[in-house]
Amino acid sequence: MASGHNLGTVISFEFWRTIKKPSFWIATLSFPLMFAVIFGIVYYSSKSSSDSSQKLAEERFSIEYKDDSGVVLPIVAEKLQAKTIDNKQTGIEKVKSGQLDAFFYYPGDLGKKNIEVYGKDSGLFDNGKYSAVAEQMLKTSASATIANPKLIAVTQGAVSSDVTTYKKNGEVSAGWMAAIPPLLFLVFFYFTIAMLGNNLLNSTVEEKENRVTEMILTTLNPTVLIVGKLIATFLAGLVQAAVMITPAVAAYFILGAEAINLPNADMLSRLVVDPTAMTIGALLMIGGLMLFTGTLVAVGAIMPTAKEAGQYFGIAILLMFIPFYIIMLILSNPETLVVQIFTFFPYTAPVTALLRNAFGSLSVSHAAIIISMLIVLGTIIILLAVRLFRYGAMQYDSRLSLKFLNAKKR
Amino acid sequence: MTTAATVIEINNFTMRFGDKTVIDDLSFDVKKGETFGFLGSNGSGKTTTMRALLGIYQPSAGELLINGKKFEPEDGKSLGYLPEERGLYKKESVIDVMTYFGQLKGLDKREAREWSLDYLKRVKLEDKAKSKVDKLSGGQQQKVQLGVTIMNDPDVLILDEPTKGFDPVNRRLLMDIIEAQRAKGATIVLITHDMSEVERLCNRLILLKDGNKAAYGTVPEVLAKFKKKNMDDVFLQVYGEDASMQEGEE
Repeated sequence: MASGHNLGTVISFEFWRTIKKPSFWIATLSFPLMFAVIFGIVYYSSKSSSDSSQKLAEERFSIEYKDDSGVVLPIVAEKLQAKTIDNKQTGIEKVKSGQLDAFFYYPGDLGKKNIEVYGKDSGLFDNGKYSAVAEQMLKTSASATIANPKLIAVTQGAVSSDVTTYKKNGEVSAGWMAAIPPLLFLVFFYFTIAMLGNNLLNSTVEEKENRVTEMILTTLNPTVLIVGKLIATFLAGLVQAAVMITPAVAAYFILGAEAINLPNADMLSRLVVDPTAMTIGALLMIGGLMLFTGTLVAVGAIMPTAKEAGQYFGIAILLMFIPFYIIMLILSNPETLVVQIFTFFPYTAPVTALLRNAFGSLSVSHAAIIISMLIVLGTIIILLAVRLFRYGAMQYDSRLSLKFLNAKKR
Repeated sequence: MTTAATVIEINNFTMRFGDKTVIDDLSFDVKKGETFGFLGSNGSGKTTTMRALLGIYQPSAGELLINGKKFEPEDGKSLGYLPEERGLYKKESVIDVMTYFGQLKGLDKREAREWSLDYLKRVKLEDKAKSKVDKLSGGQQQKVQLGVTIMNDPDVLILDEPTKGFDPVNRRLLMDIIEAQRAKGATIVLITHDMSEVERLCNRLILLKDGNKAAYGTVPEVLAKFKKKNMDDVFLQVYGEDASMQEGEE
């Protein structure tokens, strides 16, 4: 009862302490801010380019052309008020002298030679209009010649394919649509450790740096303190996730999915949520969080200062990134020895197994082994962290030595 | 066997760090309601004994009991401990830190907050309630820490060098607070180098040297045993010139 009360008190204190820190909000807001800036740039450039295209479409300029390919139809050229001439050099000279805005030369063998476009300089960006019109004249003419909508679609690349693949058991493989939902656990795992791991590490070192440990140890079970810190970190991670996705959600509802290149409702409905993969993903994430956060607390208990502890945080991040160096191997050939080692080595297991789970190459039996390993090892590391905290925090100015730990262990 | 009047009981306590024996077969007790002086030079093992009593260290041998049982953090609700190593959460506000510790000691949030504000007023720090701890002077931080120590109105109060760093005015204030706790019937263990405090406040005392008991009893008994008129002279006789030379963890 008392422990429960104290756990709530610790969670509340540590949670508010974390989210009141300016560094928390700098880290949290930098992502949506960056998202907003990138979105703003994309939106602006997209709008500008659309405006420019419209302006170009409406703009009229004098054109002459010589067609040795025989593809360009006079009727198409006439619509653009383009006139044909017999001599290529004459066209070029007219452009040079300013009598003509643009001259296009279509060579006899379009498969081997490029269209030659000559134009009056209208600035770096506007000069693109000449080649756009030259190519459009050719495409429109070619399509009109084919006079078959299906063939036109093929020649213009407007054809896509629906792929259906089958697993070994004959079930239809859902591909990316099945991989995305379990991958969300990997994203949450990454963000929690990358953005809050350092905070967790520092909050443990802080007890020592502030000389507050003795007061704590005589009022509070250290296990309650450590578990409280871990839960508070998890909750702060949820706040961070909510803040980060809010701009995307707001933009989705205000501007629509297409405006911000997010999947629309139709695409979302095609996501395949496999309960087994999701359960395994959630358990792998929890096990991974237990192992990494427990390790960070243990490091915090050993190190005398936040600065020294920070170096070890870098190693934790590195271990999380290492599996991505062999991601192609993980996805294409998960049975190789290297992937197997990464799958079962505790500190690379969470990321590797989460990836393999998402892409369907992790068997349930292997997943069970890895989850058990992570949860058992995570629990042991957390218990060790509690012990290290109890004794390491009493060595205020130096690292915890094994000799000291042996002298004081219960 | 613990009697009803015994609050702290230490039997055959030995503490070793590696090959070094810091405390060797120490036994003493502290009775209910008394103010007990725990004396010794730097490095004599006073703080180590208190840390072992409070479960922070595991003793190499012996038994350390409070109210007849080994201390657990849950028992901290009836105990106040002012450690030698002072410290609070420096980047938090005074009122938040005090409220947090009050809650850990069993008060509800509102109760802890109200008590803290009353206490801050009493020690003339009411205008610092919302200040960050690291914006306070050392003496002001000591006052806050003392408040945290007594806010649960503890039955047992262990004060390790409580006047360290205090000016005479604050020292007087502190002594008033200790007196008030004593008047309420609290058992007080006073770890100090200030022999005048011992003579004035303590019913009984123990003087450690090299991890052993050099003196134990009431102040008059100790003075009589050493044939001295004051505790300063007793201390000097026990330690001689070593007293000012010794350093290290106590």
